Amino acid sequence: MISLSSYLFISFTLFIAGIAVMIARKNIIAMMLGIELILNSAALNFAAYTRFINNNLEGHLMSLFIIVIAAAEAAVGLAIVIRFFQIKETIHIDDAAQLQS
Amino acid sequence: MGQNYLASLSHFIPELLACLTMFGLILIEATYKEEEKGRGFLFLAAGIGLVSVLVFSFASLGKEPVAIFTNSLIIDSFSSLMKMVMVLGTIGAVYLASTSNDIEGNLKPEFIIMATGVLVGGMLLSSANNMLVLFIGIETLSILSYVLASLKKGDERSSEAGLKYSLYGGMSSGIMLFGMSHIFGVLGSINFTEMAVVLSTVDTTQIAILLPSFLFFFAGIGYKIACVPFHMWAPDVYEGSPLPVTAFFSIVPKVAGLAALIRVSQTFFANPGALNIGWVGVLSIVAALTMTVGNVSAIGQRSVKRMLAYSSISHAGMMLMGVLVISELGTRSVIFYSVTYLFMTLAAFYVVSFVSDKYGNDHFERFTGLAFRYPLMAIALCIVMFSLAGIPPFSGFVAKFHIFTALLAKKYYVLAVIAGINSVVSLYYYLKIVRLMMLKDPESEEAISGFNIFNQGAVVALTIPVVVLGLFWEKLIVLADGAKVFLQ
Repeated sequence: MISLSSYLFISFTLFIAGIAVMIARKNIIAMMLGIELILNSAALNFAAYTRFINNNLEGHLMSLFIIVIAAAEAAVGLAIVIRFFQIKETIHIDDAAQLQS
Repeated sequence: MGQNYLASLSHFIPELLACLTMFGLILIEATYKEEEKGRGFLFLAAGIGLVSVLVFSFASLGKEPVAIFTNSLIIDSFSSLMKMVMVLGTIGAVYLASTSNDIEGNLKPEFIIMATGVLVGGMLLSSANNMLVLFIGIETLSILSYVLASLKKGDERSSEAGLKYSLYGGMSSGIMLFGMSHIFGVLGSINFTEMAVVLSTVDTTQIAILLPSFLFFFAGIGYKIACVPFHMWAPDVYEGSPLPVTAFFSIVPKVAGLAALIRVSQTFFANPGALNIGWVGVLSIVAALTMTVGNVSAIGQRSVKRMLAYSSISHAGMMLMGVLVISELGTRSVIFYSVTYLFMTLAAFYVVSFVSDKYGNDHFERFTGLAFRYPLMAIALCIVMFSLAGIPPFSGFVAKFHIFTALLAKKYYVLAVIAGINSVVSLYYYLKIVRLMMLKDPESEEAISGFNIFNQGAVVALTIPVVVLGLFWEKLIVLADGAKVFLQ
């Protein structure tokens, strides 16, 4: 039987993985994947909480909106990465160091 | 049900008008793509649209607060005032964009369209009474801001600014959602009103989950305000973006985030208890750090734009102190502060923009001897700098004074002392530019074409409120006093 705590554990693992990817990886596309992982962990949490504790559909609503907005964010983010690549010919985050105090 | 929605729409006119303006602008832009005539139409349409949003927001001031769309948005005087500040900021930024050379001619329509979109997000955020609306507001604000930051085509710095903004933004909104999901799990609703009711009955284990969750939740809003642990993006983004975009960023997202934070604090943390102590404690530390880091970093800057970016971080810390007292006095002081901050920031950015259009950069030396060439502009910038530093006859002082009043009423003496010290530190870099303008001889005699009669008029028009609000501030305080956050 899959219980609420299993879902919470999985989503927490996803969250930590996302943060770790954001910190450790230097490839911008990989960092965007990290953002997706974090967003999906939140969406999973919402769905799980609605399924097991609060049967009021609001959590499902949140999950759906998270999926939609994550797509929008990825679209804009990738467009910016493409622009960055056109100028710099690299997608390594350490090359984005023009602006530093 | 259907009737309820129709009735709700009648309170939602400012937002609808802003959306309509955005769609109309997109149509105009698509019709007259490259023509000069079309751009005139576009600015006219943007002006009419934004002014009508302003008028309708003003009309809803002082009316009975209402909760619309099944209680997911609250339209009260507080949100209307915050919306007016945001609309004024957008109008100011759009005018600056129309005259500035920092945005290419064919990208100006895009700036205006996106800025209107950001405004819609900010308006949603300022009256959100529901985690979903709050999230959508923040994302509307953020996603369009990423595009705005990388608006300069082919410019390395601008695309880098957009990149950093989107990476930090995506991460912080993800963290915010993770916090929200656990808050939802414990409190069982996404509606602030229902959550606040459940919140008064939670036990210790639930509080142990809620405290870190609210901390995560704060990350998302704190990122929009650019307060300290989440401020790393701000100076880079402000420097890399075109100047009108920087002016826009330092007003609209900040005010929107503060409005949301005020509503959240007053809904959830008004009652004393462990949660209240935790939230106020976190906000106090964040506010103190924000002020200090912003001020200390502003000291060593060469670029006036970057200096203004850091100073806007420290002003955000100042406004946070009005939030963390969680009292009507605090709300009032934040409203007053954001109105004065709007005029001061816009006027400063206008002058900096015209100077940097001429010389290609905005280093401090470019302002040398401005008083002997453009005395009116130099005086205006001096007034604004004195006001930003909080020197008595100007509105910046009155704004800080009200924040201090709210702090002292709650007996947060340590914070008040830190804020006082920070005001003194900020004098250093604000007066540096005043000294350069007033006491040094000009290095070149070339005319700055940006300072034509219209633009000088615009700068003076923005400076007048800075002076007037410093002398006759009772009217605005009365207005702000009526704008209490509506709680059910």
